[in-house]
Amino acid sequence: MDAALELSGVTKRYGDFTAVDDLSFSARRGRILGFLGPNGAGKTSTIRMVLGLVAPTVGTINVLGAADARAVRERIGFLPEERGLYRRMTPIDAIAFLGGLKGLPTGEGRRRAAAMLEAQGLGDAAKRQIRHLSKGMAQKVQLISAIVHEPELVILDEPFSGLDPVNQQALEAVIRDLAARGATVVFSTHVMQHAERLCDHVVLLARGAKVFDGSVAQARGHAPRALVLEGALDAGTVAALPGVESVASEAIEDGGTRFTATLRKGAAGQDALRAALAGGHDIHRFEMREPSLHDAFIALTGGEAAQ
Amino acid sequence: MSRLLRIAAREYGAYVRTVGFWLSMLMMPVVSGLAFGAPAYLESHSPPPLVAVIDQTDRGFDSAAIATLKADKSPPEIAQVRPDPGKPLPDQLKTWLTVGPGGDSARPLTAVAVIHGSGDSISIDFWSNTLTDRSLERDVEGAVADAMRDQRLATLGIDLPALKAAQALKPTLTAFSPKAAAGGKVAFRDRLPGIVGFGTAMLLWMMILTGAGILLNSVIEEKSNRVLEVLLASASVPEIMFGKILGVAGVTLTVLAVWAGVGGTLLFTLRPDLAADVAAVLLGKGLVVYFLFYLVGGYLMYAAIFTAIGSFCETTREAQTLLGPVMALLMIPMIFLTQAIRRPDSPLLEALSWFPPFTPFLMTARAASEPPLWQVLGTGVLMAATVALVVWIAGRAFRAGALSTGKIDLKGLILRVRGGE
Repeated sequence: MDAALELSGVTKRYGDFTAVDDLSFSARRGRILGFLGPNGAGKTSTIRMVLGLVAPTVGTINVLGAADARAVRERIGFLPEERGLYRRMTPIDAIAFLGGLKGLPTGEGRRRAAAMLEAQGLGDAAKRQIRHLSKGMAQKVQLISAIVHEPELVILDEPFSGLDPVNQQALEAVIRDLAARGATVVFSTHVMQHAERLCDHVVLLARGAKVFDGSVAQARGHAPRALVLEGALDAGTVAALPGVESVASEAIEDGGTRFTATLRKGAAGQDALRAALAGGHDIHRFEMREPSLHDAFIALTGGEAAQ
Repeated sequence: MSRLLRIAAREYGAYVRTVGFWLSMLMMPVVSGLAFGAPAYLESHSPPPLVAVIDQTDRGFDSAAIATLKADKSPPEIAQVRPDPGKPLPDQLKTWLTVGPGGDSARPLTAVAVIHGSGDSISIDFWSNTLTDRSLERDVEGAVADAMRDQRLATLGIDLPALKAAQALKPTLTAFSPKAAAGGKVAFRDRLPGIVGFGTAMLLWMMILTGAGILLNSVIEEKSNRVLEVLLASASVPEIMFGKILGVAGVTLTVLAVWAGVGGTLLFTLRPDLAADVAAVLLGKGLVVYFLFYLVGGYLMYAAIFTAIGSFCETTREAQTLLGPVMALLMIPMIFLTQAIRRPDSPLLEALSWFPPFTPFLMTARAASEPPLWQVLGTGVLMAATVALVVWIAGRAFRAGALSTGKIDLKGLILRVRGGE
């Protein structure tokens, strides 16, 4: 079986509230899957079902070949959204303890913990109580404790939240390393830039339902391209160009105006640009803007909040 | 090592490895020693009170009062004072109590008793610097009252030595019981089981309450530190719950072992006869077995409840609301424990023993009086069944609580447990 994780028709209801609605997707082994959606979209509920912490109301979940993740928990690494560790333990003890729960012998756990802490620049903090570490350092310790047993499936719930840009970059490197080692990584986020840089495959969720499942390039295909023009133009002229669906304008620093012309699906940007140049307009600058995952997200979710 | 044992070992180490744990354990004998030793030390290292007695009746009450004062366990010094008839007595007394009477006494008097009056109307004006300590006052009052009675009896022509001898008469009481060991004659050793039963029941109650309290705080800490969700992804609910319960049981047993060791050593050293009797009761009457059985049952029952409650709370203040009914339940057997020594077979106590939350405490206290076997087995089976049910419900509650957010009241707790999540 090629999928490390497979959900089929999964629904989760809490009383009258449907947190997850008929969700199906799969994560291929050795790939990075981004599980995207705004806050409250149902990402954490889905992850809890995947981990076997709560049961789905309807549907089936297959994790590493098992119908219940609890049967294969030693092969899974999990970093929860709300992070925390035993404040009075040292990082090395905490990592060895949590690794031990995943079947890693204590001695081996301590050895790996020391090496991984050193690699993350926390060698000096290995034997200090966690309560004395900074928030960023403690988050690194928790990430290490989630992967110290070298899991086949790593599930990270909002792993980038609370990290500064430098640590976010370091975490991206860790995720890439995990995938390079052969692990399947599933991470949830509402920050599209991380998913755009890391993911082979994204699943977009809005109000508990899946709105997209495919590659980043395919997701981008759902958002319109845009032609950006700056110069002596007016909105009416830009709107009249071939293939233009709508126009947004904004003032720029040199006193001119920037027009962002959203193109109709399938329309060639070159036709609009050619028409603008042929019209003899004084154009200082032009740019064909490819849609980002953020644009795709907005288009697919109907404009729900995303960063 | 299994996950359960790893969790238990972490829990145990989290407490036992701390300096605070051993310090608090050492604090107990230090505080107990101070509580017993400090008053005696203060008594022996303070100057004795300086007391004077002025008898204006000329009936020898001063001699009686001084004799009583001197017979005290911590006798005061007696000062000889002679009031000046030309000055008001209260003024002189105030001076003696604040400055001193002069002469041989270099320090102020602690108290002066002035005995005056005539016939049966004798009064004592007791002047003192210590308003709270009334022992000297009572000694003088008692001595004068005895002397007044003796004088009245003498005037009535009653032979005082004969009367006192008559008053000292009392029968020799010997208690017998079919439950007594040696030929029906009751000895202290026969009464010891009841006392030991009461003691072990109290110990059981304290251990259960302490252990459950430690667990509650531990779970609240894990919940507030967001560790519980990580644990749930790494181990099953029974592994987490029983691991924690086992770890804290280890902590409680460590405290018990240290104290039993220290207490046993002291008892064997100071009172080897009593130590042998206590050991005979604990081992011979099977109290140790009862104690262990009810300790396991009671601890599991309350530890599971406290653990489940803790999983819903991020602060001890939140826990207090949910703990109220459980604490009220825990207090009830305490009310009846003393009764278990005097009337172990009372119908009310027997009935209450069948209520599983009370069974561990009341049956431990009653165990020494050897209740009928059917009661022991019946209450034991009922308690075991209840423990299984409570642990099952607590497991569902623990899972729901560990993943819950926000405050929860008792109604919400019940709804979550029924829903299972």
